[in-house]
Amino acid sequence: MSTTPNAGIAGKYLTFVLAGEEYALPVGRVREITRITDITVVPRMPAHVSGVINLRGKVVPVMDLRVRFDLTATPPTDETCIIVTETNIGDRRVVFGAIVDRVSEVLNVSMEEIEDRPDFGERLDTRYMLGIAKVKGHIKILLDLDQMLADDAAINGRAA
Amino acid sequence: MSNEHDVVKDVEALSGDPELASMFVAEALDHLGTIEATLLQLDDKPNDKTLLNDVFRPFHTIKGNAGALGITTVQSTAHKVEELLDRCRSGRHVMGRKEVDIVLIAVDTLTAMISDLAERASGKPGIDLTNERLTLIANVEAILNGGTIAPVEPVAPKAATIERPELFFEQQPQAAATVPAAVPKAPQTINDALIGGAAQRSAVHSGIKVDIQKLDTLVDTVGELVILQSLIQEAAVAQISDPKLLRNLAQLRRITSDLQHSAMALRMVPIRQTFQKMARLMRDLTQRAGKPVELALAGEDTELDRRIVEDISDPLVHMIRNSVDHGIEPREVRLAAGKRETGQLALRAYHQGGNIVIEIEDDGGGLNRDAILKKAVSQGLLTIHDTPSDDEIFALIFAPGFSTAAKITEISGRGVGMDVVRRNIEALRGRIEIASERGKGTKFTIRLPLTLAILDGLVVRAGEERFVIPTFAVRESLRPTPQQIQLVGGKPRLVQVRDRVLPLVCLRSLFGLGQLGTPVEMSTLVVIEDQHRQVALIVDELIGAQEVVVKPLGSSMNVTGIAGGAILGDGKVGLIVDADGVMRIATAGNTHVEAA
Repeated sequence: MSTTPNAGIAGKYLTFVLAGEEYALPVGRVREITRITDITVVPRMPAHVSGVINLRGKVVPVMDLRVRFDLTATPPTDETCIIVTETNIGDRRVVFGAIVDRVSEVLNVSMEEIEDRPDFGERLDTRYMLGIAKVKGHIKILLDLDQMLADDAAINGRAA
Repeated sequence: MSNEHDVVKDVEALSGDPELASMFVAEALDHLGTIEATLLQLDDKPNDKTLLNDVFRPFHTIKGNAGALGITTVQSTAHKVEELLDRCRSGRHVMGRKEVDIVLIAVDTLTAMISDLAERASGKPGIDLTNERLTLIANVEAILNGGTIAPVEPVAPKAATIERPELFFEQQPQAAATVPAAVPKAPQTINDALIGGAAQRSAVHSGIKVDIQKLDTLVDTVGELVILQSLIQEAAVAQISDPKLLRNLAQLRRITSDLQHSAMALRMVPIRQTFQKMARLMRDLTQRAGKPVELALAGEDTELDRRIVEDISDPLVHMIRNSVDHGIEPREVRLAAGKRETGQLALRAYHQGGNIVIEIEDDGGGLNRDAILKKAVSQGLLTIHDTPSDDEIFALIFAPGFSTAAKITEISGRGVGMDVVRRNIEALRGRIEIASERGKGTKFTIRLPLTLAILDGLVVRAGEERFVIPTFAVRESLRPTPQQIQLVGGKPRLVQVRDRVLPLVCLRSLFGLGQLGTPVEMSTLVVIEDQHRQVALIVDELIGAQEVVVKPLGSSMNVTGIAGGAILGDGKVGLIVDADGVMRIATAGNTHVEAA
């Protein structure tokens, strides 16, 4: 059983919507969800980094996931949320917020429901996918936060 | 008896109760620091029984605590030294230079041993200090055996009662402040008065050890409270007319502000420890350089932000080395110049306005104006036709790679120089100035903010965003008249402010926030400066002066020209401008006005 490649991926996920598609992040990585708030633009940052917000006294960088995934950027609506995530890189803790269209639910994804990264061909970049979950007939894309951070010098702090 | 085996057992003992162990380590290192400082005083007054007791007691405490925890290597080492000190105390052995030396070595060895044990206990590899330890014990033994028997010394003083500090609370016997050994010449009226006041403050403080993380959390939380309070205040003034409620709100505001200041004060520590390090350094330096130099400390009780205290140490070490090596002349030169044979070096700290001032003053040869000038010309920093002022010439020693030292000595002059010192000080939002007179001496004055957590800033608007410009970098702000603006290639590029012509830099274009909507003469200019340059920043609007709590920009967004973030009155983040970075971008790129 433990030999299945997907064994480590099963667990609780927070699902959210981005341009009509359902995505999911491991719940353990989510620190909180906050409504979209005033964002201060930080100069000289890549386009997907929207800026910084005041998260109860802390200054936290925020990225627009739509822009990050090359989807069309849209103005925020009443449902637009920021998912604040927390990741340990070495002994540093990296906190950042991700702007999403709408947060859906917390979901238990079992091993049987997870499929390997499918080959979408040209249609979708699978680099940031842990896998695909098919829950009650709906497809959820499980995001690989570590990979996203590793590729993002502006957020992971390795930028010069 | 296998020694490495003992160390392994000690590590086990330490790992047994991590909390108790970390307390032991912190406390022991603390005591060793105190011991070192007292020893340096004892060096001058070897017969002072009070000082001797002040050295003996903490040694005894370390030994006792180590014994209680079963850390035998530390216990046995401390025991040996204690034996020597005890004999001196009871008059059976005479305290002299040799004894001070060996106890200083013991302090170093014990510090290394305890740090090593702590490292090992946390799973890191250790270093083998067996040799150092055994040599030390043998040397103490030798002194004990060969030591002269005290001549008819008066009856031993009543042994001071031995205090065992409570576990959490402790009475810190602060080493009696060194009274500034009258700084030669130049009556330092105001400064001395300030310093005197600080130095005479009570000798005993009671304290409690708190984890720094908890402190930072407290300061953060209070910061949030302050911001929330000001949000409520703003809304209330507009909407509430009930005088009682308004009065209470005003009261709340005062209390919040008091609380903020108290919280900030918690992070403040006296500069004493850093100064003591310098005293020790001096002792080693003068021995190596073969020049007698006296160090006078003043204002060790001056408090500043913990981080500043830590970070100021390296620059100070460097400057003191420089002073001993290049500043103070060799003995013969001093005597020929009619100076005292012993060089004088003064290290002072005091408050002035909202700043901490640290001064390093020597009575040596002073800076060689002509040598600096010559070097500057040869390095292409100046041309022969330049006629710089003395200040401008002295400022050159802060240029990268600049060193006028004729020879490279063991102590300093290797080229890593004053530019590093200046950069370190500027990183702490401080400034350094030099005053020097040929043949009389050199004085460095370092001005530092009280804390790095709070910044006095000027809030300005550029486009939709607000920026905080640190007040220390702001020279003035003004509304230019059309006559002041000078066009270059049809575009406004320069502005004349009194007798100076300054480059115009648009904050909007600098940070990619679009074009200025109004002509330059309709906007506001903020002149920012560093040691060498001034630049006039064009901003949309001047919002006002404000104290802000400095926050890092998230994980580590590292943007040239931005020093951090601050949460402004309305809860939105404002970016703090890094004046040095702005000037670097401005001089590198094309960020002039591209507007009407």
